Amino acid sequence: MISISFGLHGKREGETIAPIKCREDDHMAEDKKPRALATQAAAKIAKFVKGNLSATLKAKEEGKKVAYAYIADGQDEIMRAMDIVPAWGESFAGVCAAKRDAEKYLQKAEADNFSRSLCTYATCTIGFDMMREELKGEPVPGAPWGGMARPDMILGSGQLLCDPRFKWPQATQHYLQDVPVFVGSMYYPPFDPNVDHKEQEKFYVKYATEELRELVKFCEKHTGKKMDRDRLAALVDLSDKTWDLFIDTYELRKAVPTPMDTGDAMNTMVPFTFNLGTQEAYDFYKDLYDELKQKIAEKKGVADDEKYRVLWAAGLPSWFALGDFQYFNEKGVVFPVEVTYRGGEKIERLGLPKTNDPLEHIAWRWVRYWTHWYDKARKRPGSIPKVERIIEYIEDYECDGAVFHSAFSCRSWHAGIIHQAETLKRVYKDIPVLIMEGDIVDISSYNEADTHNRIDAFIETLEAAKKRHN
Amino acid sequence: MNYFAGVDIGSTMTKVVIIGDSIVASLIGPTGPEHRKLANKVMEDALNQAHLKFEDLSYIVATGYGRINVPFADRQITEITCHAKGLHSLLPTAKTIVDIGGQDSKGIKIKDGRVHNFVMNDKCAAGTGRFLEVIAESLNVPLVRLGELSLTAVKAAEISSTCTVFAEHEITNQLANGESLANLVAGVHLSVATRVCSLVKKMTIEQDIAITGGGAKNIGLIRALEAKFGCPVLVPPEPLITGALGAALMGKEIFEKFAEEGQTPTRSGRGLEEARLFL
Amino acid sequence: MTELRDGNALPSAEKYYEEYGLRAKELKAAGKKVIGYLTALGPVEIMTAAGVVPIRLKGNVSEPITKGDAYMETIVCPFVRNVFDAAVKGKYAFLDGMVLPHQCDSIDRTNDVWSSSLKLPYWHFLNVPHVTDDPSIEFMREILRVFISTLEKFTGKKITDEAIAQAVKSHNENRLLMRELYSLRKSDPPLISGVEMMKVLVAAMSLPVKESSALIRSIAKEVKQRKTPSVEKRARIMLVGDQIDDAAIVDAIEGAGASLVMDGLSIGSKMYWGDVDVTSDPVQGIAERYLRKLKIPTTFVGAGNTYQENLEARFGLMKQHIGEFKVNGVILFIYKYCDPYGFEVPAIKSFIESTGVPVLYLEDEYSTSTLARVKTRIEAFLEMIA
Repeated sequence: MISISFGLHGKREGETIAPIKCREDDHMAEDKKPRALATQAAAKIAKFVKGNLSATLKAKEEGKKVAYAYIADGQDEIMRAMDIVPAWGESFAGVCAAKRDAEKYLQKAEADNFSRSLCTYATCTIGFDMMREELKGEPVPGAPWGGMARPDMILGSGQLLCDPRFKWPQATQHYLQDVPVFVGSMYYPPFDPNVDHKEQEKFYVKYATEELRELVKFCEKHTGKKMDRDRLAALVDLSDKTWDLFIDTYELRKAVPTPMDTGDAMNTMVPFTFNLGTQEAYDFYKDLYDELKQKIAEKKGVADDEKYRVLWAAGLPSWFALGDFQYFNEKGVVFPVEVTYRGGEKIERLGLPKTNDPLEHIAWRWVRYWTHWYDKARKRPGSIPKVERIIEYIEDYECDGAVFHSAFSCRSWHAGIIHQAETLKRVYKDIPVLIMEGDIVDISSYNEADTHNRIDAFIETLEAAKKRHN
Repeated sequence: MNYFAGVDIGSTMTKVVIIGDSIVASLIGPTGPEHRKLANKVMEDALNQAHLKFEDLSYIVATGYGRINVPFADRQITEITCHAKGLHSLLPTAKTIVDIGGQDSKGIKIKDGRVHNFVMNDKCAAGTGRFLEVIAESLNVPLVRLGELSLTAVKAAEISSTCTVFAEHEITNQLANGESLANLVAGVHLSVATRVCSLVKKMTIEQDIAITGGGAKNIGLIRALEAKFGCPVLVPPEPLITGALGAALMGKEIFEKFAEEGQTPTRSGRGLEEARLFL
Repeated sequence: MTELRDGNALPSAEKYYEEYGLRAKELKAAGKKVIGYLTALGPVEIMTAAGVVPIRLKGNVSEPITKGDAYMETIVCPFVRNVFDAAVKGKYAFLDGMVLPHQCDSIDRTNDVWSSSLKLPYWHFLNVPHVTDDPSIEFMREILRVFISTLEKFTGKKITDEAIAQAVKSHNENRLLMRELYSLRKSDPPLISGVEMMKVLVAAMSLPVKESSALIRSIAKEVKQRKTPSVEKRARIMLVGDQIDDAAIVDAIEGAGASLVMDGLSIGSKMYWGDVDVTSDPVQGIAERYLRKLKIPTTFVGAGNTYQENLEARFGLMKQHIGEFKVNGVILFIYKYCDPYGFEVPAIKSFIESTGVPVLYLEDEYSTSTLARVKTRIEAFLEMIA
């Protein structure tokens, strides 16, 4: 296992860091190659992202409300059913990072005493919010595609995905004091090898359902509209179908050679993540499905010479360094599957109890999504659900190794990675593993040359492992 | 005539200032690991310069990183308060002070002659004199010349590293790729100025802005700061002694406060001779 | 337990502070089961009712983190890392089990690491929600019931409602006694120093409730007999943060010539203010107290029709304490890598400053390695507000 440190932001006392060279923020304009996307569908994603931002800017004149929202909170269908336009800080910050233009927002937040160690999706967006407020509604110069509109409400969640989901909305309200904030909850039972989680599912689902009802009440209050239950049910049905289609499409990547890589998936996840509950999102995956089928028929893989298949086992990517996937590809390493931003599963595999209440259905879907790896984990002593998921993907997609990415500002997805890697090797097999360290948005700790060196070293371990195997 | 002394033991330099009605002595010496020995020596030399004896001093204040190690001092006061006091006496219109020292950097807001707010960076070398030292050594340019050299640049090179160690290598790399020395040195100054500006922005910046500490002797750094702040940065006549001057002035203030009530402040009771026992 | 005689209460507290876990080890040797927990969310009433000895875990700010780094990322809360490091180094080898409440990501996401590294006979993750509305209270009751049943399985003994009600009474009494001790800090200068108080708080969180109450009672008795010393006026400081459990930083404050007269710490006022209401189902009162009365940043408070009202709902108690204890300076000491507190800093700072009280915000680690830097900032702050 190789552990990389780029230099965690804010080094600890006495720690020596290997000297590495740094890349200028400004290189983007000159020599940064546009990342070659293997699929044409992925190339359409910019339209989605831009469309989502401009929808927020047009909302007011269209008589719609804008809500700051956060992904996978179970709130998509409710918002869409009420024509609430979501403004996704996580997308906005990702775009700023990809354009390598997040630093000014991070510094703005830092100037008001937000620590640089906090979730950089949040501090980037809050910095932007602070600037927009100071400009009293005038656009923030340099904000990507005009940025996001000032919200009419903020819909957070104290759910298990992460703490910033309820602290970030609250922190934002300090600058937008007239904007109402809702924070709900959507928990799932924790994994305990000695406890049958199914006994607890009922009250978890009841809780999540009631919280979603509170969200509906809040949205009704602040839009002045009543929820159309039929429309909601139809959208939940659509999102179920989108879950299925999303997974069916991604499972095409099991093919050898794989027709699509994680580098693309960090783009193709956009409709599922930010546009769930819309026809456009569903249609996107229809197109992607067809395209991948075509590529498989033509035996067209992501890499000209696919040597190694690797799982992206955990971690949000460095949005400013997606080009590193291309680096992997050029060396014959492809990522047919990833854990990150694959927040769906085939509905039939979840065994969801029937219900007429679309909110209860959302709740069951969420709880079962997380718990459907629990039985497997219980059957394999010492295992944990996250590792079962990793093992499932390694086997289904025929992977030779796994890469984890630990982002310093995100405890939610990156604390526990050492343990996952170690458990994987202990309960499954000793496959080559790489743990990279960096961040999602903050580029100041990143160094391209060094990253490439570490990737090269990892590829050598993949080679060695393959030789041993043969 | 009452005389007051201020002793500023910084990480790299020890400074002593003695005041009566005005400054009667000021001295700077390099700090070594043995603060006490040196504090005595510099104090002795300062007294000689002023033609005074130790007993002529009515109150002594120690400040700086090593302020605890001045046994003959009557009071320890932080360099934040002392720099503010000293700078204010030299440049009364300054409302925001930037202090760039060898190992740390600070921002201080002054209101009505007193410290109103302060921010410090003492965790990270980038944004302090240390950064410039490392680069100077790496580029084989004497530190004292670094500032002038930066002014001859055509355009400041961009250095994205926020870490001294990484930046050093980034610079070596750029040099190898043909970037001019002057441009790189200008980039380094801009880098420090950016970090400092970022720090100081945590307070509301009000003019006049003034600089103190070792960084104030670097013309390149001053220009870079002016570019970042977008306004002039005032420089006191002898920036290295503002801390010691402020300490002496604080001593005077304390003494006079007691005198108003017909009392004298408690003294340390230690003389220079006693301290010599630790040599 | 060291018998508390007149005059030895404070030295007792000091001993339990210095040799942390001493009493728990003694009780373990005498056949009791000891359960460790983290955070002010640890439901001590239930553990007391179960007949186990609850001990709140702490780390050691003077101990550099070494062994723990092999298992736990360095981006995790420095406090959690330090306690984990202490645990894998064997400092808590005497524990029969642990309950980890879901306070924050740093705890939730490392639960697996803790349990698989320590391999204790009993382990429970208490999935406390972040929200306080009625469905959340209902949910909290359910998860407390799950916790109770796992404890019953472990101890082999049923935990009756009566036992829980009794425990509620004992812990309420304990909190009341501690609040009375706190009130001795209202005088100018306080009768008990900040350093002494820190040691008492730490000692108390390591003792079974009745012994903790006895200790606090004795200390209050000793302290009340002191005469208010006549000294020059010192700044009255309040320290706000999460788990600060070492005298070092208090010493830095008081050594600089100020008095630490109050705190907003999770082992201090956050833990001892807000009693459990007596309810027909005792678990209901516990759920309500831990979600609604305990004001910690990981519990979202949505109350209030305006932002100002919301700030009052969140920080009103802090403001009240500032007034009652005549605080004239607040030190906000927040650990790095802490999202729950970190995101609140601008709001807390401006709220307190709006009452006319200056705030020093320090971001640091759970370690004395940076103490010199912290001291300079504290001293400069005190000089500034003088």
